[in-house]
Amino acid sequence: MANLGEQLLNALTLAGLLFLVSAGLSLVFGILRVVNFAHGVFYMLGAYLGYTTVMLTGWFWPALVIVPPVVGVLGALLESSTLRFIYRRPPIYQLLLTFGLALILEEALRILYGPTAKGIDPPAYLQGAFALGTLLYPRYRLFVIGLGLVVAVAVWLFLRKTRAGLVIRAVAQNSEMADCLGADVARVRTLVFGAACALAGLGGVAAAPMTTAYLGMGIGVIVDAFVVVVIGGLGSIGGSIAGSLIVGAAQTWGAFYLPETAMVIMYAVMGAILIFRPWGLFGEEE
Amino acid sequence: MTALLETRGLGRAFGALQAVAGVSLAVEPGEVRAVIGPNGAGKTTLFHLISGLLAPTSGRVLFRGDDVTALPAPARCRRGISRTFQITSIFPELSVLENVRIAVQLRSGGNFRLVGGRATLEATEQRARASLGSLGLLGRAEEPASTLPHGDQRLLEIAMAVAQEPELLLLDEPTQGLSPEDTVATVAVIRQVARERKLTIILVEHDMDVVFDLADRISVLHFGQLIAEGTPDQIRANADVQRAYLGGAE
Amino acid sequence: MRGTRALAAVALVALAVVPWVAARHQLSLLTDLLIYGLFALSLDLIMGYTGMVSFGHAAYFGLGAYASALVLIHFAQPVPVALLAGALLAGAVALPVGWFSTRATGIYFAMLTLAFAQFLYTVAYKWRDLTGGSDGIAGVPKTALFWGGPSLASPQAFYALVAACVVLSLVLCRAVVRSPFGHALEAIRENERRFMSLGRDPRPFKLAVFVIAAVFAGLAGALFAPFRGFASPEVMFWVFSGQGLMMVIMGGIGTLVGPILGAMVFILIQEVLSSYTEHWMILTGVVFVLMVIFLPDGLVGTARRLRARV
Repeated sequence: MANLGEQLLNALTLAGLLFLVSAGLSLVFGILRVVNFAHGVFYMLGAYLGYTTVMLTGWFWPALVIVPPVVGVLGALLESSTLRFIYRRPPIYQLLLTFGLALILEEALRILYGPTAKGIDPPAYLQGAFALGTLLYPRYRLFVIGLGLVVAVAVWLFLRKTRAGLVIRAVAQNSEMADCLGADVARVRTLVFGAACALAGLGGVAAAPMTTAYLGMGIGVIVDAFVVVVIGGLGSIGGSIAGSLIVGAAQTWGAFYLPETAMVIMYAVMGAILIFRPWGLFGEEE
Repeated sequence: MTALLETRGLGRAFGALQAVAGVSLAVEPGEVRAVIGPNGAGKTTLFHLISGLLAPTSGRVLFRGDDVTALPAPARCRRGISRTFQITSIFPELSVLENVRIAVQLRSGGNFRLVGGRATLEATEQRARASLGSLGLLGRAEEPASTLPHGDQRLLEIAMAVAQEPELLLLDEPTQGLSPEDTVATVAVIRQVARERKLTIILVEHDMDVVFDLADRISVLHFGQLIAEGTPDQIRANADVQRAYLGGAE
Repeated sequence: MRGTRALAAVALVALAVVPWVAARHQLSLLTDLLIYGLFALSLDLIMGYTGMVSFGHAAYFGLGAYASALVLIHFAQPVPVALLAGALLAGAVALPVGWFSTRATGIYFAMLTLAFAQFLYTVAYKWRDLTGGSDGIAGVPKTALFWGGPSLASPQAFYALVAACVVLSLVLCRAVVRSPFGHALEAIRENERRFMSLGRDPRPFKLAVFVIAAVFAGLAGALFAPFRGFASPEVMFWVFSGQGLMMVIMGGIGTLVGPILGAMVFILIQEVLSSYTEHWMILTGVVFVLMVIFLPDGLVGTARRLRARV
């Protein structure tokens, strides 16, 4: 039974990380209709910058606070300098452009940090295990679960309850109308894109103590993130939450019971969704 | 006489929003039926339900007496339903001729040969040119469709639909965005083509002059429901319709 | 049109003459360029003509390479048999992958192809017994043209085989693109909803071209293995798929011959840049991004457009 509890918590941890990456992706795709192949690289960037911050300051917490905005600003800069030219073109060019950006960023990280993985230790009082009844579970992972939960609630509240969130949702529904009504559509786009990158960066910082910062992180996570978005439906935060939980659970239990075929299960689920309900569990049929 | 197209209790919901509800109508062969209603009344959704791009959440669609509700759009098209779209939907980078030719090829049900196929290509090109001719677009056959002015693009869409030799033609706001001169010309073309090829037409329109000019009968939608049906004179006099439009034609 | 015919004739003559004129390492380089060119050509079928961006096309190149390597090493067959094996394996795998992937469009399609390719890459990486794992398969021989036939070991002979394959593939692809099937593909690229509303389901078309493109990519990979003498997981990695995309864009999407040139230019740039700096990958990436923004039609595409204006 303790095993089941451990599995459950592992699934939640993974879901938390996945949510941080896929929420941003879902927003950018659902709201901006932009396909951002480079999204995974921002996750990786967060991990590496987190490593640098820890090296410089000796503390973990500054990384959690400083890195996401930095990554967000970088994302916003890239969007306003390159993506802006591509919005009116067929989506194929967005894919290619963001792919090129991903390649450049990945190479830049390779040049700056070298090919070996960089590890971070979690802060002192998040090390070790926490006793939950008979189960001993790593404190840091509980922290990640909590972080995922807090961010999920925060994003949901922001979009639903604030004026800015309303503007964003309006731009998502009908950008021309929103433009006429006074919303600065270009600025909203840049802000949302930056925010999405910041979320991914936060995910990277959070992941680093668990997975280390390594090249190829970006690609690994983006495939998973897209599976989440397919399952959950794009543009829906609720969908990202549900998708993250499903993928987190499937991967955790799959890795435990059927290690080689965990990935196959994922693709099977994604394939089934694409066939029977292509707009995802929470998405809207178009 | 069996109706060419019949819908029974047709409805479509998007979550909590009922875009179309309980629409039952019957269109006779050779008729020109106009579907009107204020914005958001569900007219385009109705078209999607008839042409097969959307599946209904309730009700049935019958074409020539057969239940086609379960058939997807390509199958319904092959049975004889062709349509145009509210926002011009053509193949922008292909030439005007290629646009219509592809329409002919897709309808003819022939196999798409990988190599060769020279003879079939010529035959379909003949039909495509004929269709372009009846819509006055033959002179621009080689140009990329995207370079055509808006009015001609809408005509091109009609040419594509007509080239498929359908029995039922669905026109979604054919005169939208057209100047008054182009509107008159388009209406004339539609009338002529309908007569020449013995088409049954259902059209969605906002321009009331066009509606009263072309239509034999009018169906009025409001909030997804059919609130009135009749001849143009009957509809003009109908109080419910006037109320729905808040005081008459736009 | 006459200008194009003349250019084609010149190119063919040049290809035929090169073995007598070029030095050994130049001939080797050209053979390499042609193989990548074939890979890029196959990608253009789905990208340029059908509008499907695949991030996993390298998988079929890799499958072709591995099949070819295994056939040549374990069965010592003539090279054409290995080519057939590579092309068939690639096509066979592309069938189920394509069936799933074409259920989706746009970014979903791209991610599906990437996911499947990563899966195949992992299989190649882990299945040590069959594929040699991360080391790959080495010592792949250039055997003969047919049983009891001339050996293909000399650079001239193998070059002739590669050149013949590439020219033949280009001719075949052109025929496909100009057929009614090819016209349908272009219509699908332009407006899929319109295509459906005109009477056909686009999916069988997309699946068919996906498999055809995989077959040609597999052929390229099957030529790669004996030419380089090895097959390794790198050629299945997403980076190689991405490089393929870059080659197509640089050369000219939707022109068939453009991507072949694009592949050559791409590899040559890398050769030149890598002798100056080890950071050539970033520079290539930057050039690519700039081209996507400012020169989306690539070299051949822009040339054609300029010529049409004159």
